[in-house]
Amino acid sequence: MSTLTSEAAILADLRCVFRESLGVDPVTPISPETRFFADLGLASIDAVVLGEAIQHRSGRRIPFDQLLAELGRRDLRDLEISELIAFLQLHL
Amino acid sequence: MPRLTANGLNIHVQQAGSGPDVVLIHGLTGDLSIWFLSGTIPALAETHRVTAYDLRGHGYTDAPAEGYTSLDHARDLIGLLDVLGITRARLVGHSFGAVIAVHAAVIASERIDALVLSDPYFPALRHLEDVSQWGHWQNFCREAEDAGVTLSSDTWYDLTTFFDQVRHLDDERLLRFRQAVGLPGLKRVLRLAGTTCGRDSKLADGLSAEQIAGVLQPCLALYGANSPFLTTADYLIEHLPDCRGRRIPDALHRAPEENPEGFVVAVREFLESLQPAENCEVCQ
Repeated sequence: MSTLTSEAAILADLRCVFRESLGVDPVTPISPETRFFADLGLASIDAVVLGEAIQHRSGRRIPFDQLLAELGRRDLRDLEISELIAFLQLHL
Repeated sequence: MPRLTANGLNIHVQQAGSGPDVVLIHGLTGDLSIWFLSGTIPALAETHRVTAYDLRGHGYTDAPAEGYTSLDHARDLIGLLDVLGITRARLVGHSFGAVIAVHAAVIASERIDALVLSDPYFPALRHLEDVSQWGHWQNFCREAEDAGVTLSSDTWYDLTTFFDQVRHLDDERLLRFRQAVGLPGLKRVLRLAGTTCGRDSKLADGLSAEQIAGVLQPCLALYGANSPFLTTADYLIEHLPDCRGRRIPDALHRAPEENPEGFVVAVREFLESLQPAENCEVCQ
């Protein structure tokens, strides 16, 4: 499976999770450049719940605590979907 | 999503690690995400079974219309310990979360081993603090102003006023506020504003100065070096039988956000200094 397919597959899956678990379904579809806080208007608690939903859906333990701790260390606390995809590629 | 029913509420809970139980309690208008953003959960999960949850009215936990005093929250906490099968726990509370921790130690002393009190101010001890000097409140007012909500600069951490104003914002200001905090964030603030949380957070509801001073468990009064509540910190250290103090550098009232590394180090060192749970004198 090429990296591109895998990224596209993860993105499609993420759009589902956002819709079903967070009730987020923006008019402009979520893209790799979409930012979790600035563009989707979500908060860190939503990132926690998103992490739970992804783990539940994949049936795997994914170390979202690492991603969240990294987010907490940033001056500009935001996360691009492309970063989330890259993180999931490592752990799925 | 991990949710449990305790004390009649659906509570959003996270757990990690193994070892002695430690429960993390966030403050008002917050949620359990702070314990992830600060790295507290993975750090403590190396040596403890860590439980974090959203308080009633907050995060993804239910928001009943009433019952938001520290006593109400303490009862939720004990109910949660029961459902999780936790006999005894160490508590780490931030701000009002620490008030809840102390109240839990008062109503269910046999369930609590030790307490980390991160920057609390107590309704029963409000006479200690001169709030007009509270720079953090000035910052909070400024942030609220940016989001279209005007707060009085001489009202003592008045969540009631904040909530009243949010509920009565005109359309234009509501849009500005929504742009500042996001739509889910706005919905959560409005949800909390519709409860008695603001009013109840000012009530001692039985947690008097005498009760606070009667907490026998080992305590850590952990305050930011520039916290507005250092008089309260000194009071706790002086009046509780087993309370030591520690300051977190480069922090005001929100050390888990302002200096997460410093916060985590202080919490770990205190927890590691405790006797193992099975040797704990309080439970004998």
